[in-house]
Amino acid sequence: MVISILPPIVHPPTALISQSLSSCLPNLLTPRSKSTPRTSKARVFTQSQTLAILSDPHVLQLAETLEDSLQPSSSPPLPPLQKLRDISSQSLLSTSWPSRKDEPFRFTDTSFIKNSHIEPISPSESQSLASLPVSSDTLLPLHVTILDGYVVDSLSQLSELPDGVFVGGLSSLNSEVTMKRVSEYAPNFQGDLFWLLNGVGAPDIIVVYVPEGCRVESPLHLKYFSLKGSEKDSKILPISNPRVLVLVEKGGEIGIVEEHTGVDETDKCYWANSVMEIVIGNGAKVSHSYIQTQSLDAAHVKWTSVRQESTSIYELTEVSTGGKLSRHNLHVQQLGPDTVTELSTFHLSIGDQIQDLHSKLVMDHPRGVSRQLHKCIVAHSLGQAVFDGNVQVNRDAQQTDAGQLTRSLLLEPRATVNIKPNLQIIADDVKCSHGAAISDLEDDQLFYFQARGIDIETARKALIISFASEVIERFPNTCVQNKVEGLVRKLLDPTPSSR
Amino acid sequence: MALFTPNLSFKTATFNSSLFILPATRHQRLRLNRCSRSLKLRASVAVESPSTSATEHVGSPELLLEVKDLSAVISESKQPILKGVNLTVREGEVHAVMGKNGSGKSTFVKVLVGHPDYEITGGSVTYKGQDLLEMEPEERAVAGLFMSFQSPVEIPGVSNIDFLNMAYNSRRRKLGQPELGPIEFYGYIAPKLELVNMKVDLLNRNVNEGFSGGEKKRNEILQLAVLGADLAMLDEIDSGLDVDALCDVAKAVNGLRTSKNSVLMITHYLRLLEFITPTYIHIMENGRIVKTGDISIAKVLEKEGYKAISDA
Repeated sequence: MVISILPPIVHPPTALISQSLSSCLPNLLTPRSKSTPRTSKARVFTQSQTLAILSDPHVLQLAETLEDSLQPSSSPPLPPLQKLRDISSQSLLSTSWPSRKDEPFRFTDTSFIKNSHIEPISPSESQSLASLPVSSDTLLPLHVTILDGYVVDSLSQLSELPDGVFVGGLSSLNSEVTMKRVSEYAPNFQGDLFWLLNGVGAPDIIVVYVPEGCRVESPLHLKYFSLKGSEKDSKILPISNPRVLVLVEKGGEIGIVEEHTGVDETDKCYWANSVMEIVIGNGAKVSHSYIQTQSLDAAHVKWTSVRQESTSIYELTEVSTGGKLSRHNLHVQQLGPDTVTELSTFHLSIGDQIQDLHSKLVMDHPRGVSRQLHKCIVAHSLGQAVFDGNVQVNRDAQQTDAGQLTRSLLLEPRATVNIKPNLQIIADDVKCSHGAAISDLEDDQLFYFQARGIDIETARKALIISFASEVIERFPNTCVQNKVEGLVRKLLDPTPSSR
Repeated sequence: MALFTPNLSFKTATFNSSLFILPATRHQRLRLNRCSRSLKLRASVAVESPSTSATEHVGSPELLLEVKDLSAVISESKQPILKGVNLTVREGEVHAVMGKNGSGKSTFVKVLVGHPDYEITGGSVTYKGQDLLEMEPEERAVAGLFMSFQSPVEIPGVSNIDFLNMAYNSRRRKLGQPELGPIEFYGYIAPKLELVNMKVDLLNRNVNEGFSGGEKKRNEILQLAVLGADLAMLDEIDSGLDVDALCDVAKAVNGLRTSKNSVLMITHYLRLLEFITPTYIHIMENGRIVKTGDISIAKVLEKEGYKAISDA
């Protein structure tokens, strides 16, 4: 087993933001050559430096490929999309491909993507395949099917949406009021290279808009399918760039179930590079379920960026099992007091794969509450898991109650997990806790099963499932819960259970 | 040789030592010799009965468990805990083991069920004629050896009913019987809940998670009721229980007893022994059983403490 826990960074209440902050950010604007070791430098909040000092030819080429692939339509892109593309391509000029020397990618090797030939997928290719049996799975009544990043209306069911709620591509948004709101919000967040590539390559912005005070009873199922894939070892990665903006106005409420998957059992190679931005108004609530079961030869890079206004609630429950390389970047920012954030995530690595969660939670206002639970199981000697969990409790975030707990289970020799919990606390009247544990199964628990006549193999399986259940049972929807539990059981125990 | 055994009513009867039978094994004699100075109990009746007899009162109390000179150490530190324990349990008997904290009582029963924290360094244990020490813990359980844990571990993520169902089916499988699905199993288990006076909702909670002390003990007895046992070893089943709960638990244990199965309980208090009357009381000290007798030992203990026993 390979274990690394980096000591959590806990700043004493009076400390100022120290240099370690810079370690959370890719070094975007350093006017040096790539090979120069990064200097430790305080985070630059102002973007006053001139751009385009350093361009990574590989990134530029990829950005061009993506831009060229976008269908020249009769009308120019709508302003929010145009703005997104402009900002993204501009930033890409000064962004290089991340290496293991960059802190956010220290444990996550992205060379698998870099060394592949990236091919954008055009919409006609996926639309023609729309007859595939992806419609049979109607887990939830409200659903949108997104094939290779493109919404397929014929495979979507949205008739039960309440008045004023909009779900669909920006291009089909008719309401001026809604369009105005969308324009105000998108995009004001900057992520890493992958976020930017999505911004350049996204064919449309898929908008989920919930007006003030509106409560959407049934959860909305966003079904992302990756249809186009290449054969293993072909070194070709078809890329899809789905981008979703969820905008929930004051007092609104919606449940979103994001499911990212390949279409068939065969392991195809592709790259799903997905971004979701969520804006939650005052007192509004978003319950977000996220399930990732991509092909084990695929790359899956995901950004979830959440902005929460005061007294709003954001709950995320995630289960990720697929992908050769799976990376979830989760950024949550509390923009007002009395805001609640709950993050429960479970990653499973059953093969030669990396499951990576980089989360960052910024609390800037009084009486914020956050609960984060991250669990992962690595059940293969070549499997890896990475967790970097950053929580910032800033000066004004007094009476914050922030808790973070991570537990990892390594089931095979040489299975690897790299854990970096880090809390940065500047406010002085706060309650913060964190914990990280890496283990095999508990001997006491195993013996309890044995003492009741249950053989050790059955006991192990039950305990492994129970480890995952703690997260799975937090999915608010029972259908989702059952589906995911069945899936995880199958992955952990491919032979039919004999119990 | 068949021995006559009286049908003692353990629930209410006061102990009648004159009706007692002593197993006639060599080591038992040795043990008794060693302790005989202070023993009030004497072998009084050992009647041979015709082997054809099949009446209820006349049976043969088969040897169930025979522990000879058992010694064990803590696996990690190699610290010796058991230093030559001898004990014989026959069918239908109730044994109580008492002794100071740290005398090795709990270790003794944990060793019998195969707890991995301990390593056997000597002696033998025969259970139903088999070498118990050769069996895996789960085999021992399926063979009818049950231990109720002093502090049962919590198992988050596994519901109580699933756990019981799994354990029950393991046993059914071993016996070549068809396994029970969740619904059939619920039908089987529902009446058992009443037996231990336990609420139904505890079935859907995770095993022991957030249970009160009393609920945990009841849950142990529920497992005993569901799985059944030929030898139930109850490790401080009375600790942390209020009088009502103790009464419920004791009633449940008595309700499960037959002339065939036996109980070995560890306790510090006379009170439990008033509910479940023991055939024998053993006093353990420094890893050995130093004294065996009837309930009068417990009464002396209650009054005067372990010093009175050691000095006697």
